Order: sequence, then structure tokens, then C-alpha cells
Amino acid sequence: MCPNIIYKDVVKKFEGKETVEALKGVSFKIQQGELFCLLGPSGCGKTTLLRISAGLETLTSGQIFYGEKDITSIPPFRRNIGMVFQSFALYPHMNVFENVAYGLRIRKKPENVIKKKVTEIMELVGLPDVLRRNPSPTALSGGQQQRIAIARALVYDPKILLLDEPLASLDAKLRRYMRAEIRRIQKTTNITTIYVTHDQEEAMAIGDRLAIMNSGLVEQIGSSDQIYHYPDSMFVANFIGKMNFFPGTIQEVQGNNCKIKLDRNQKILDLFYKMNQKRKQEIRKGKKIVLGSRPEKLTVSTDPEGGLLPGQIRIIQNLGKVVRYEITPLLDSKNKLIEVDMEEKLSGAKEGDTVYINFDRKNTLLFSGKKAI
Amino acid sequence: MGIINNLKEFLLEQSKKDYTPYLILSVPLLFLVIFLVWPLGMSIGKAFVLRGNELIFDNFTFANFQRFFTSSMYQRSLRNSFVISFSVVFFTLLIGVPMGYFVARVEMPFKKLILSLGILPIITPAFVGAFSWVILLGKQGVVRYMANKVLGLIGLSLPPIYGLFGIIFTMTLTYLPFVFLLSHGAFKSANPLLEESAMIMGASQSRILRTITMPLILPSLGAASILVFIRAIGNFGIPAVLGGQQYVLPTLIYFRVNGFWDLNGASAIAILSVIIVVIALTIQKKVVSAREYETISTASSECKLHRHPFIKTIAIIYCSLVLLISLAPQITIITMSFFRQWIGFLPTGFTLENYKIIPQIASKAIKNSLFLATSASLLTALIGTLVAYITERRRPKGAILIDFTVMTPFVLPGIVVSVALLSAFSSGPINISGTFLILMISFVVRRTPYVFRSVAASLTQLDEALEESSTISGASWYYTFRKVTFPLILPGIIAGSILTFATLLQELSTSILLYSAKTQTLPIQIYNAVADGDFGVASSLSVLLLVTVFIAVYLMNLFVGDSASSGLKLG
Repeated sequence: MCPNIIYKDVVKKFEGKETVEALKGVSFKIQQGELFCLLGPSGCGKTTLLRISAGLETLTSGQIFYGEKDITSIPPFRRNIGMVFQSFALYPHMNVFENVAYGLRIRKKPENVIKKKVTEIMELVGLPDVLRRNPSPTALSGGQQQRIAIARALVYDPKILLLDEPLASLDAKLRRYMRAEIRRIQKTTNITTIYVTHDQEEAMAIGDRLAIMNSGLVEQIGSSDQIYHYPDSMFVANFIGKMNFFPGTIQEVQGNNCKIKLDRNQKILDLFYKMNQKRKQEIRKGKKIVLGSRPEKLTVSTDPEGGLLPGQIRIIQNLGKVVRYEITPLLDSKNKLIEVDMEEKLSGAKEGDTVYINFDRKNTLLFSGKKAI
Repeated sequence: MGIINNLKEFLLEQSKKDYTPYLILSVPLLFLVIFLVWPLGMSIGKAFVLRGNELIFDNFTFANFQRFFTSSMYQRSLRNSFVISFSVVFFTLLIGVPMGYFVARVEMPFKKLILSLGILPIITPAFVGAFSWVILLGKQGVVRYMANKVLGLIGLSLPPIYGLFGIIFTMTLTYLPFVFLLSHGAFKSANPLLEESAMIMGASQSRILRTITMPLILPSLGAASILVFIRAIGNFGIPAVLGGQQYVLPTLIYFRVNGFWDLNGASAIAILSVIIVVIALTIQKKVVSAREYETISTASSECKLHRHPFIKTIAIIYCSLVLLISLAPQITIITMSFFRQWIGFLPTGFTLENYKIIPQIASKAIKNSLFLATSASLLTALIGTLVAYITERRRPKGAILIDFTVMTPFVLPGIVVSVALLSAFSSGPINISGTFLILMISFVVRRTPYVFRSVAASLTQLDEALEESSTISGASWYYTFRKVTFPLILPGIIAGSILTFATLLQELSTSILLYSAKTQTLPIQIYNAVADGDFGVASSLSVLLLVTVFIAVYLMNLFVGDSASSGLKLG
């Protein structure tokens, strides 16, 4: 059984002309056999965390455990892990077989075992035929190189698999196909896996759980469902998908219902809100909050009575599944563009028209101090 | 009637066509044919007839080559050339690769300084290095003197530097920078992910070095080896100064021409040395081409540096030691130039006389050198640029042939070029032996590859669309070349020309056969001073030469950054 991975107050500083604190104290646990995604914008520390997990970087302070074992100061070549790099890092001077067999040769396996294992793993990654011609990896397509890189990382049964943006150098169509493949291979081998990506759609599609990282800290950990529907912070809400924000003030609280007045607007929004018990006391009359709503949870109407917030349609984009309206709010010139996704096109509305935005009273989130309430 | 009209139209059509490019571009090709292809052909022909016989088929003979089977002197020269060239390649790799690795991969101070000092031996004339080692390790050399004082206590003594050992030793130090710089570049630019992935799979440091790092830099080492080999087998100055009774092919050619005026015999020796170079090139291509890899992706990050104090200490000691030894010649000649003699521990008789005497004894040689190097550089720039333009832009059917022709002198020992020129132009209708012209031609032929490579590289980087858009705007070929192409490749031309100028100032192996009393150059005067044992004057003249060359190379670095070594590379 593959071990779990535990991070304890991991801090990493890059000393230089200006010391950069890439990780500012990260603690969490990855379960056995889990496919765990590290997600965040570039510079958030996700790649540093992965390289620390591999032992390619040393940490400034903190500890890392594989299961019971503290591996903080164990060099990478004694950790028994597999890693796939963004550029695949296949050896141009070795053929496909030798590339895949590399880790087995280091482990001094007999020739017949090497042959058997390489054949098996190439079948697992769906490239059994490549071994017959056995070319240099440079002669293969990006998708094939990717599979060989995965085969090479898995062939010697490592305890942990690390993937560093493994799909970033593939084209969009192949990327979607390969991410399903990677999930299939991971579930077949059931190896504890860390998957680093900056693509939120990829992370949500592939990961059992995700950690959203931002400037050296973990903002939130959870399943893609939890993170999408209950983001802990405004950062996470807007990083995973899009969220529109509207500042306002709480007028009245009654059980799970609360009335909110949006800034620079006379109308009152009556929300049904499932409050987080921990921060329940924060919801009280007169409190300044920020309302968050996903584009698909907003609707627009041409009827002034059908919505709360007036705005002007800037652009209408038909995206196939939905029609996206980009709307400039009329009352609040400082406010950013509002995105509304409707399932059907609003008849009679064209770019430049004034429309009225309405909220879904059960699916609107409240934030205070950038954190979810 | 119809036919005449058609003809008229045809002629009109033809007269509208722009012939300027053909006229201008044919000049350098003609030059190459007359002064390179023709002389080489003549030389090959002469090798197969005996001296004094006419070059006709009836006189065909292998007699000139038979000396390699009959004369022990010839056999020994051949063997010496082999032994020296291969040993020099071996030792430069042995010493240069670790140095390249240390500077590229170990954290240590003064890396930039090490890199720029490391290049000094190549811009120092090889024979200057040789005679400074005579000062240090010769019969009465200072280092030998001290070493023997110590060794004498245990009944041993260090032999003087003359002979095979000295030649190999000096050449190794002279050509070390090629291996050092090229392997440094390869180690530095290697994709770090390839090594990291091996480490993650469990490979130890030594295994990574053996199975990943070294195989991947092999092509660079192959390129460096062949550079060193070609120079080692063609070098005249070092074996001439240090060889004593030990001849090598270039000194044998010199002996043949200077002693017997036997161009036919010299041609035969020249052919043999070219054959050896071709064999070496073939081996290198075979070994390297099978291992030439396209890199899958370029890495943006650099390889991690070793920080272990033990490795750091070893690296610093190693690099300083190599630098100290390879810079000993420069230090020695600068010191020597201020003294009368250097026998025993310290030089004696401090004097500025060695410098004061320069205007009196060497003004002609200095003037000749400057005149020849300047004019030949300009001509080289012109021809090299135009030929590069032809092969890169016009791409005629025989482009590969032109490329091959212009690069030939790069692999030919300098003395072979002069034998070829003498074969063609020292008798018969065109006799230019002993003139400035033949020296200038030999310089141009020998250095055109430098400018050619440099300009060809600038041209490949230059987007052809720039020239096309000029043509579409209505510009003629000449206008486009003048206003668009030329200004953009000018840095490449300047870099190539300055490198040419710097190397021509030190040229000895070509000019040694071609000079006359009237056309004597500075390197030849230094060489003669060494032969006369006048080390003081030889040193002061060498310092003068060194300083000039150093300034030229410094100027070139201003134009092309620190890629100075790229101009020295072969394909």
C-alpha cells in the first residue's frame, strides 16, 4: 500500500539578492492512494512544494512524512518516487525501452524481469506497439512522449508519483484525453499521486481532492465540488471558475434569512442563507459584506421589475451551452464588469440595451474580509 | 518576321533582368577557383611527378610517396605527427573536461575571470608559448633548474623540454581552451530536468554523470577534439622551436621546401597530412553523428551547482593550477622582455633595451604585419561575406560544393596552403613568389572560413521576409543588399573580420614558406630571434604582438558579446 504524505509547517525561502519566501508554512495531509491536485496561479509555490516533496529542493524549516517515515532530509534518489516533468525529460540518447527501463537498471533487476515489467507498463499506458519499433523518444508525438514519461516513472513501483504540469505542453484536445488517461492509470495502480497544475478545469476534472495555493499558503483544501460551491475565500471563488462580487450591508437577520441592501442601490435583497456555524455571529445587522454569485446563478431580464440591479449589456457571447452577457453596472461606475450566463438567449436584448440583474436567493455567498462567512 | 519579333522581345526581356548580382557574386567564386581550387589541384598533380619534371601524364610516379616506406626520417615524422595529435587530443580532453565541469557546475568565485583568462592561450601565438617554455624548462630553464636542485638530492633529473614530450606538453596547454570552453558551454546548457529525473528514479551522482550527462555532451566533445586535432597536426611553430631532431609533417614539409626547393615532395607530404585530417574528421563524424540528439525541449532553468565544500575546494585548486600553468608563458615572456638573460633562478640584467631596440630592428616587420593583416582582413571580409550570401540566400545548385570549398582551408594545415600556392604560382606564367601578393592571398584563402561562418550565422538568423519586403517595395537587388541585408549582418562581418585580423597577426605556419627579406612579418622575426637564441628581443616583440592581439579580441567581444569561441568552431 502506498503511504500518505504529511506536510508539517513547510517553509521554503530562496536566499538571494532578495529573499523570496516561496512557502510560508504549509501543513496538510494527502491520503493513501489519492490523486491530489496542487492548484494555483504561477508563483504561488505549488511547483516548489512538489520539488520539495521530490527532494529536489531542501526546505528551510518544517517536516515531510511519507507515512510514518520522516523523509525531510532524505535525498531524492533514496525516496523511491516517480516523477513526470512538464517537458517529459525523456533521454534523447536512449531508445524508448532504455528510457523506461532506466529505473529498473538502477535497481539492478535481472534482464527478464526488466523486459516483463517494461512490456506490462507500456501496455498500461496504452503503447504496447511502440516497443516493437523501439525508436528514440524524439521521434514520437507529444502524447506518446507523455505516456512514456509516465511509464518510466511508474515501472519500478515507486511509492509516490509526482506530476509537474504534465499536460501543459500538449494541445487542448490531447490534454483533455490525456487527463482522463492519467486518472485511469492512477486508479489502476492506486499510487499516491500529487498533480501540479495551473489549469483549474484540469484540476477539477482529475483530482480526488484539490489544494488551492496562493502566495506561499494553502487557501483551501477539498473536493472540487466543495471548492466550487463553498469557496473559503474570494480568491478561491474567483480562481475556480468566475464569481461576481457586489458590496452591500446586512439590514436584517431572521434565522436563515437575511435582508441585504446593495451599495448605491435602494432595493433590498432577501437571501436564504445556510450559515457556517463557526462564523454565524458575524452575520448581524449593519455589517458590511460582499455578496458573491456565480454567472450561472444570476439572471437578467429586460423588465425593470424582474431584477434588482440595472446594467448595460456590453457584449453578448454565444458559447454553445450558455449565452454569456457581459454587463456594465449602471449605478456603480467603479464596479467591475458582471458576467451572467443564461441557458437561453434573452429575446429582444441586444448589445447596448439596459437590463436588470437578479440573484438566486438560495445560491448566493457572503464574504467578509475576503473570507467566506 | 515573327521569329525576329520574338527574338527582339526576348532580348528586351533579358536586358530588363537585373544582372548586378551575378556580376558581383561571381568575383569571390572566381577568386576561390583561381587561388584555392587551382593551387590545390596543381599541388596534387605535382605530388605525382618528380621534381623538375613536367606535369604531364607520362611522368606519373609514386616516387614522392615512396619515401614514407624507405626513409626512416619520413616514417618517424609521420609517427610523431600521429602520436602528437592524438596525445594532444587525449590530454586536452583529460584536463579540459573536468575544468569545464567545475566552472559550469560548482559554485565558486571568479568564474567570469577564469573564463576570460582561460581563453588567453588560444590568442597567444603558439610558438610564443613554445619558446617561453624553453625559458622555463629548457636546458637552462628556471623551473627545470629548481626542480633539478630538488630532484638532484635523490639522484634524478628533469629532462629538458625539447622533443616529443615538450611538443605535446606545449600544444596541450595551447589548445586546452577549446575543450575547456566548449565543454563548459555544454555542461552549462544541459537540460537540468534530465539529470533530476534520473536522480528521482534513484540514480547516484556518478551514475547520472556516466549515463546521462556525459553521453549528452559527447557531440560537443567531438567538435572540440577535431578542432584540437586539426590544429595540432598543422602546427608548425611548436615543433619547429621544440622539436630538435624530432620532425613532424609540417616541419618536414618546411625542410623539403626550404632545403631542397622540392615542391613535389612537399606536396606528397601535404597530401598525406590532409588524408590524416580527413580520416580524423570521418571518425569524428561517425562517432558524433550517431549521437547527435535534438533536444526535446529547451530548459529555462539552469543546472544546480554543487555546494559541497569538499568539491568546491577541489574545483578551485584544480582550476587555479591549470590556469597558473597555462598562463605561465604570458607571465614568462612579459618578465623576460625586461631582462638580458634568464639562466638559473632569477632573470638577470634588468633593461628596457629590448623595447628600445624595437623601432630600429623590427619597424619593417611591424609595418609588414599590420599592412598584410589589415588588407587581407578587408579582402577576407569582402569575399567571405559574398560567398556566405551566395550559399545562404541565392542557394545555387552547387551551394554545398561552394560551402565545402570555402571551408577546406579550415581543415588544411597552413603550410599545406602555402605549398599549394607555391606549386601554382612560383613558376610559369604567374610568378608571384616572394611578393606581398602571395602572402596576402594565402592569408585570405586561409581565413575566409572565419568570416564565412560568422556571416552565414548572421544570415540564417536574419528573416528573409525583411529582404523580400524590400524587393516587393520595388528595390533592386543591389539596393536591398546595401540598405537592408548589409546593415543587419554588419556585426557578423565585423566580428569575423576582427577575429581574422587577430589570427593573421600571429600567422606563422603559412608565411614561413612564403616570406622573403622584403615581406618578413613580425611572427617570423620573433621565430628567427628565438632560433638565434635572442630571447630578450623575442620576448619584447611577443609582448607587443600579444597586446595588439588582445586589444583586437577585446574589440571583437564588444561586438559579439562573450561568444568569441563560436567563430572558432567547425560547422
